Amino acid sequence: MNAPVPSRGAQTLIGAGALLVAALLAWGATGIPSEAGYAGVGPNFLPWVVAVALAACGGWLLFEARSGGFRELDPPSGAERGDWGALAWVVAGLLANALLIERAGFVLACALCYTLAVHGLRSAEGRPWRGPRQVLLDAVTGMLIALPVFWLFTQVLKVNLPGLTGTGWL
Amino acid sequence: MTAATPINLLWAFVGCAVGTAIGVLPGLGPAVTVAMLLPITAQVEPTASMIFFCGIYYGAMYGGSTTSILLNTPGETGTMVTALEGFKMAKSGRAGAALATSAIGSFVAGTVATVLVTLFSPVMAEFAVQLGPPEYFCLMLLAFTTVSAVLGKSRLRGLTALFVGLALGLVGIDQITAQVRYTGGIPEFMDGVEVVLVAVGLFAVGECLYNALYEGRSVSDINRMGKVHMTRREWRRSWPAWLRGTAIGFPFGTIPAGGSEIPTFLSYATERKLSARKEEFGTTGAIEGVAGPEAANNSAVTATLVPLLTLGIPTSVTAAILLSAFQNYGLNPGPQLFQTSEGLVWALIASLYIGNVMLLVLNLPMVGLWVKLLKIPKAPLYAGILIFATVGVYGMRQSAFDLYLMLGLGLVGVVMRRFDFPTAPVIVGLILGPLAEAQMRNALSIGEGSWMVFLERPMSLTLLVIVALVLVLPRVIAWKRRA
Repeated sequence: MNAPVPSRGAQTLIGAGALLVAALLAWGATGIPSEAGYAGVGPNFLPWVVAVALAACGGWLLFEARSGGFRELDPPSGAERGDWGALAWVVAGLLANALLIERAGFVLACALCYTLAVHGLRSAEGRPWRGPRQVLLDAVTGMLIALPVFWLFTQVLKVNLPGLTGTGWL
Repeated sequence: MTAATPINLLWAFVGCAVGTAIGVLPGLGPAVTVAMLLPITAQVEPTASMIFFCGIYYGAMYGGSTTSILLNTPGETGTMVTALEGFKMAKSGRAGAALATSAIGSFVAGTVATVLVTLFSPVMAEFAVQLGPPEYFCLMLLAFTTVSAVLGKSRLRGLTALFVGLALGLVGIDQITAQVRYTGGIPEFMDGVEVVLVAVGLFAVGECLYNALYEGRSVSDINRMGKVHMTRREWRRSWPAWLRGTAIGFPFGTIPAGGSEIPTFLSYATERKLSARKEEFGTTGAIEGVAGPEAANNSAVTATLVPLLTLGIPTSVTAAILLSAFQNYGLNPGPQLFQTSEGLVWALIASLYIGNVMLLVLNLPMVGLWVKLLKIPKAPLYAGILIFATVGVYGMRQSAFDLYLMLGLGLVGVVMRRFDFPTAPVIVGLILGPLAEAQMRNALSIGEGSWMVFLERPMSLTLLVIVALVLVLPRVIAWKRRA
């Protein structure tokens, strides 16, 4: 199942985005000293090269977008319109994970991330919400995935992952 | 033989099993699988972890082919052609034969290519010792050009992706002057942006987000599995294709122009031309069309070890991640590696042999078991992938900041996929950028600040001419064809 290629407006936005990144790079490059030593070029040389090249790419992308669209563009897979609500749930899960991992520990943060993400992915499939029991079930599933991983890394491989307690078991 | 101790064989076994399991799941290719497990390098000794990663890698490639054949969702570009014919074969009830020819073909190609790597690498390393910074810089330039401008469909989008990768590579401390660049005052940026973080963000998290956003209503139909078995006729048709595929794949892997896209398509075209049963291609599925490209893919991928080990130049996403595994151990691949860590290099090469055999012995009979993994519903599968992504990224340096960055890169991955930007140039630019910059500045120091140093040395001049040809030739050919 393929969607039509993204609209010219969206393509223009991508070109403009590349130009913006190039501008940020150039702005950052002005703050880097150029003392070159024997090499003739200093630490600010490559930043300028990348900024200018990216600006050229952005300009060219913009030109393509305005003159008939990106060349040789394959239609992307999936639906034509994005399910932004579903995306928001998954993003919320990842944000919660990043926020909580050092406070609530790896297992709980990941279980919460899993619960939110699975809800979003299910809603994208168009399945109705099946009440708090489903949420509980998802949370338990998330724990059951995260716990063995946590033990494998903390107990067997001795990689430090944050826990709720200092025991290395939760 | 350090690679064949029982404990290392166990690592190879676990690696193959884990790799196949993850490789079968849609959306995760071999490179990301290795990336997510990279934190173990902190604890496990180099030889064992190299063996483990080889096992994972082979397993994941095999798992990916399985998914391509049964589900028509190639995990990475190298298996796109496999999906082309393999899915058709499976549709007409020959999934078993397609799986068998891809597994045995991969084994044949992997083994032959490993032998060639064993023979070539020391020669290459000896030659590479003579190369100076100008030559290295030109080689890297060649890698940049081919990865971004030749492999994808649009050179503009490939180059844009490359420069985004180079920009990411600029973040952190400059290798030569210790100047801090683009950190924005954030201490986490001082060490630069890890390649693992970018790979996991762009591929694994990006895949999950893309699925939530666009693929919710997509339904995939799974082909039925038959017995994994080839008739005598199918054997006869397969083996010349395996050998041709191996021969086509290897040279493409060794030149710093990596990527398995071109050799797999070349092999597919060759088989199609040579086949006595052209009518099967694209209709009921021709076994040569699976056997050849699958062998070419595996052979090219194995051959990318030659530039990686002897020059320190990664030309594929997986090679880039392996390079970062080496760096975690404080090892710098390059000609010196064969002198300083000879044992490790040979252990790695030995583990390739072991991984190949392990895969054939273990996975061929057990493919029915792996296929059951395809029945996991999509929602819990992708949500579960996020947990593994968290382990891989957080476990690397214990920083929650990296998790925000991972989310950001995931969103970038969604945009890139939607607008058909290639992702490999980002990874190659990120890991090769700082190396290329250092070589360039060293080269200019040798030339006392003069750019002529790149033109005065015959090797580097030749390489520059090749770079120019690679950029110009396709355009000239296209233009001539139109005229």
